[in-house]
Amino acid sequence: MSATAPGDSGRSGVIGLPASLLVGGAIIAMWVLLALFADLVAPYSPIAQDVPSALQPPSLDHLLGTDNYGRDILSRIIFGARIDLQIGLFGVLFPFLIGNIIGLVAGYFGGLIDTVLMRILEVTIAFPFFVLVIAIISILGPGLISLYIALALVGWVSYARLTRSQVLILKNSDFVGAARVLGYGNGRIMLRHLLPNVISTSVVFAMTDMVLVILLGASLSYLGLGAQPPAAEWGVMIAEGQQFLSTAWWVCLFPGLAIVLLALGLSMAADGLAHVLGTKE
Amino acid sequence: MTGEPILSVRDLTVQFDSGDGWRSVVEDVSFTLNKGEVLGIVGESGSGKTVTSRALIRLLPDRVSRIAGGCVDFEGRDVIAMSESALEDIRGGKIGMIFQNPTTHLDPVMRIGQQIAAGLMLHLGLRSRAARARTIELLDEVGFRDPERQVDAFPHELSGGMRQRAMIAGALSCNPSILIADEPTTALDVTVQAQIIELLRTLGRQRGLSIIFISHDLGLVADFCQRMVVMERGRIVEAGAVDDVIARPQHPYTIRLLHSQPGLTAPGSYFDLDGETKSRNETRPAPQGDATYLAIDRLAVAFSRKRSLGEILTRKPVRDLAAVDGVSLNLTRGEALGLVGESGSGKSTLARSVVGLVTPKSGEIQLDGKSLGKPGERQRGPWHRQIQMIFQDPVSSLNPKMTVGETLAEPLSVHRLCPPADVKDRVLGLMTEVGLEHDLLNRKPHQLSGGQCQRVGIARALSVEPEFLIADEPTSALDVTIQAQIINLLMRLRESRGLTMLFISHDLTVVRHLCQRIAVMQHGRLVETGSAEEIFDNPRQDYTRKLLAAIPRVARAR
Repeated sequence: MSATAPGDSGRSGVIGLPASLLVGGAIIAMWVLLALFADLVAPYSPIAQDVPSALQPPSLDHLLGTDNYGRDILSRIIFGARIDLQIGLFGVLFPFLIGNIIGLVAGYFGGLIDTVLMRILEVTIAFPFFVLVIAIISILGPGLISLYIALALVGWVSYARLTRSQVLILKNSDFVGAARVLGYGNGRIMLRHLLPNVISTSVVFAMTDMVLVILLGASLSYLGLGAQPPAAEWGVMIAEGQQFLSTAWWVCLFPGLAIVLLALGLSMAADGLAHVLGTKE
Repeated sequence: MTGEPILSVRDLTVQFDSGDGWRSVVEDVSFTLNKGEVLGIVGESGSGKTVTSRALIRLLPDRVSRIAGGCVDFEGRDVIAMSESALEDIRGGKIGMIFQNPTTHLDPVMRIGQQIAAGLMLHLGLRSRAARARTIELLDEVGFRDPERQVDAFPHELSGGMRQRAMIAGALSCNPSILIADEPTTALDVTVQAQIIELLRTLGRQRGLSIIFISHDLGLVADFCQRMVVMERGRIVEAGAVDDVIARPQHPYTIRLLHSQPGLTAPGSYFDLDGETKSRNETRPAPQGDATYLAIDRLAVAFSRKRSLGEILTRKPVRDLAAVDGVSLNLTRGEALGLVGESGSGKSTLARSVVGLVTPKSGEIQLDGKSLGKPGERQRGPWHRQIQMIFQDPVSSLNPKMTVGETLAEPLSVHRLCPPADVKDRVLGLMTEVGLEHDLLNRKPHQLSGGQCQRVGIARALSVEPEFLIADEPTSALDVTIQAQIINLLMRLRESRGLTMLFISHDLTVVRHLCQRIAVMQHGRLVETGSAEEIFDNPRQDYTRKLLAAIPRVARAR
């Protein structure tokens, strides 16, 4: 992880923040605003079919063209941001919470608790990530809720390992020793003294992880396991468009570009955040 | 032999890129090194002494630093203007250099013989066999007992002192005329330090070396060097023969530096620092009564070694590492006991087991007649109101994410020591007591100096109003003038609060200054205990004598 790498912070940007954070943040903000105000921004309804004007190339009426049901692709991408951002948020939030709690507890207490938790973790890691996620979703039935549950069950391991390894180092540091000598309880030491000092790495990782989760969400939707048609989701859109790839390239291309743009924004923001958090203290 | 200059530095200015423009770290530094002499450069951290020494052979980081002016005249040529290839001949060839931390300057995966031989092959063009033979001679010269075998040792197989000897052998391998030694003994124990200094002295005499010796330790420089320059904030503030400077310091900074030396101020009296405190003599409070306050009885602490798979399978018994091995020690109320020992002697482990950070294997600790019990149970006991601790590294002993105010308010609110409305006043009161400006309240540790951090650590320990304070090397990470301030503070607090104190240090002079009684530890055992006067004037054990002999001359003057 570059999260704690000191040194050149690329402090070129405005107000002392790295340029990558500003650009990445702007891209994310754009998508968030589009998702929030989709009703106002989108020129058409995302699900209104207009079969006579199906598969039209980009034009002034339909800036990014239409799909095989004549739905406006631009509108579908804008509404799709709602679902994809939601996948990114919840797909990361639950693993983040679970993983950090487990990592903190395992690292701080050590001993039997640590052994048990780490064995569970290793068993989880032993399965290929995608296979396990797909297996869990298949059991629970396709849909976004299943996707979140599957990610929560599988995705926590990275956060747990990350946090645990840092807690292992920090719990022997003098300020934790001082806290124990002052008679603070374990809960206070973990939450007030350890967590704030280990969380930044996890946060930066969560940003990069969000990219992967959104891609995963799109892939699963593409496979029919995530968001269900006719919902406007970028993965679903690509899946629907692939049969027209040779005749109507715009149906696949633009949702694909939307994923790339959001992923780019997230990675840049993560990179910038790593510099800020890593060098600040 | 001495007299004619071999290296002269004129108006040397070195600048570093501070982010918004170049800032001078070394400014207009001029001095000469004469043939065969030992020149000391003394200064505290940030004084520019190391940068100066590295600039002499242009061993500074590219891009972020530059030599903005001046010249370094060596054998009639200007090192600053020299081409990179000509410089290679000088670095490691005609000018050797040794560094503070031998561990980081030796390649861990290369045998030390190879590392030394590499220089011989590069600079002198020796073949590998000849280089190896020469390496063995060099190792013999720097005091390796079995050079034939040790030439093939890896750095981790050697002790810190032996590693530094290997570094010296490497630096001397190409028969340099100048040796630059940058804090070569700072990372070493005092007795090892004495050996290395003795070695440098002998080698200097035998080889007619000119040595530039950089140190923060005025006592060491006075002991070892003939002439010295004193640096402060990138400038030379004073220069001259060592005896002159010590006897008649001119610059206020030099005077402050001298006044901060524990060995030069009478034990128990305040250091005279810019009138910070009026210098009172013999203010040591007498122990209040003879009742035993802390009783440590046959305490033993062992660290279990992780067993390898092979050892688990063969069920080979693993010997635990005994850190503290049956130590019994008593403290009476109000006294200050100094615990002295070198690294690995178990002094910190002993302290940590008293405050419950380490679980003893056996033995008992009683505080005021009550057993502290097993460490697991101690967390809930009220003992933390009685015993507090201050730590060696002042910066890492504070939570980096918490401000000074939060750090100091936390114990007050956790233990409900005062009504929430009064917390802020109490915090400010504590800050005043330890000499912290109130406007530091919202600073975080990285915005404070080391000395300020240590004051916060002390204030935090005092916040719960303890009776007993354990100080684990509280000044060894600090500059000597800051050390003097902290010791002044601890002495004042002992008077005002009547604290009982266990003061741990590797530095006998510091301990003598603060404590009435001294206990000496070695290899986890208590070697000797006695009053400070007894230990200093009439040591009974060889090890104590060795520690005393390792104290540099200036510090021993009184």
